[in-house]
Amino acid sequence: MSSFVWMKVLESTPERYDRGISMLSGGRIGEVYQRIAEIAAVPARRVLDIGCGTGAVTLACATRGAVVTGIDINAEMLDVARAKPVPEGGSAVFLQRAAAEIEDLFGEASLGAVVSCLAFSEMSVEEQDYALETALTRLVPGGVIVIADEAEPATGFRRLLHRLRRLPVVVATYLVTQTSTRPLAGLTGRMRAAGFAEVTQERMLSGAFLIARGRRP
Amino acid sequence: MKLLDFPAYLRDTAFRLLPHRARTGLFPIGDPGPGAPVLVTGNFTLTVRRLRDVLAGQAAWLLVVNSKGFNVWCAAGGGHLTHHDIISAMRVAHLADKVSHREVILPQLAATGVERRAITTATGFETRWGPARLEDLPAFLGRGSRVFNAERFMRFPGWERQEMAAIWYAPALILLTPILWFALGPAAALAGSAGLVVMVATLFAMLPRFNPLGRWRLPILLGFGLFGALAGWGLLAASGGATLWPLIAIGTTNLIGTGLLFMDLSGTTPWYPSVVNTGANPATITLNEARCNGSGDCVMVCPRQVLKMNGRRRKVEIREPAQCIQCGACIVQCPRDALLFRYADGSTVEAPTIRNTRLNLLGKRRTLHR
Repeated sequence: MSSFVWMKVLESTPERYDRGISMLSGGRIGEVYQRIAEIAAVPARRVLDIGCGTGAVTLACATRGAVVTGIDINAEMLDVARAKPVPEGGSAVFLQRAAAEIEDLFGEASLGAVVSCLAFSEMSVEEQDYALETALTRLVPGGVIVIADEAEPATGFRRLLHRLRRLPVVVATYLVTQTSTRPLAGLTGRMRAAGFAEVTQERMLSGAFLIARGRRP
Repeated sequence: MKLLDFPAYLRDTAFRLLPHRARTGLFPIGDPGPGAPVLVTGNFTLTVRRLRDVLAGQAAWLLVVNSKGFNVWCAAGGGHLTHHDIISAMRVAHLADKVSHREVILPQLAATGVERRAITTATGFETRWGPARLEDLPAFLGRGSRVFNAERFMRFPGWERQEMAAIWYAPALILLTPILWFALGPAAALAGSAGLVVMVATLFAMLPRFNPLGRWRLPILLGFGLFGALAGWGLLAASGGATLWPLIAIGTTNLIGTGLLFMDLSGTTPWYPSVVNTGANPATITLNEARCNGSGDCVMVCPRQVLKMNGRRRKVEIREPAQCIQCGACIVQCPRDALLFRYADGSTVEAPTIRNTRLNLLGKRRTLHR
């Protein structure tokens, strides 16, 4: 599960992104998408997906009847997302925007949920904080935020093992794409600092994936 | 440059192929007041360090945008530095509360990825292109943020060519030297490494004298490979270790080195289009004159003097199409979508596609334009 760094390789060919991510996760990335949707999406709820990529989480939420807007900077990934069929009962719109542009799209207290998968680790810490603070104001009271991203295992030995397994993938990705992903750290603390309540986290896929959730008080 | 910064400079130069992330945010240079100019850049550590050095004594704000640790040119071309990233940085830094004016100065080499008007629409800030090279910034600021024509065009001085040479041979040395040392001993390792460095450094020193995209590029590169091998063989002979296997290893090392350089040597220059970008299907920049309204936005961002404004006709003219490196900056910036790429088979790629794909990496434009 250390191989999410290959995401950047796959981004160079967005048409193959979904299949590649699925292969790299041993076919289990769908469990993460479904878990996010399970927490965040209910029929007719307005949901924002930050860094939606090819739209897997957006559409998982729409399948549950939510009215979802997916935003991403990468226009090619959005083209792939728009080509996918929107499930009956829900709706999905994809827009080219950054996380700090949420305020241009949504008024205060207008969203029932904000979700994000494999996007926060691409932002600087300052951008993450800004996105969290803005998301808080756009959520209705009681609205939920769910952020899923690559994380390092919590215990020392497993973290070491994780890093050793990750190293060759990181090197190979650098050689092919000159970039890499970084595990996300300190997210739940920053969610609390931004003002979210009931912040909890769960780990999936052998501890290498973190799903953090919270509510607007 | 401060002495303490030198190890970091060496690291960033030798491993320039890799991203190196500097802190993002709004940083003061000198003692800027609310009226001081705001300069935008990416968060590549080498660029940020050089900007601080070159701007010493100035009073300005430096807005370091998350370009994912890449330099401005590569990040903008690869879609890692867009107007969305700049809008984010401006908002995250609360720029509107920190300065009294409403203008930011953008790095010209970001023009492939950054659409100026989107920044103004989202933030209310006007934008202006700075010079192509950061060493021209003090003079630019001294003139009240006005760019001279000559400052829009790329130069490639000798010291910079040697920096680019290092990005080829430094990783190779890290991989090859221990292998040669372990397999054939220290003499072979040192001679082989020295031969490779001499070959690549000489090649970059002589770059203005030959075209790395010309029909003779392979024989020329093989000639450099032979030169590097001869240098290594000579050192080996001088050390008394000129036996069969070390000689073969040094020759092979230089042959592999020239093979790697052959892949995209032109892409490490600002003078020639990258093969990774153009592939085997180079395009020609073309003007749809009926659409051109003479705004000159394209002229302001071309780093190769391809375009020129005809003031009398109020139309842009393509004066030097052969100089075009196909970065697409002019196409992205044109407010009337008057510029496009035309391929040899007559097909075209227009502005919306360029704005989506940025550079044509791995030939992705090709599938879209057919």
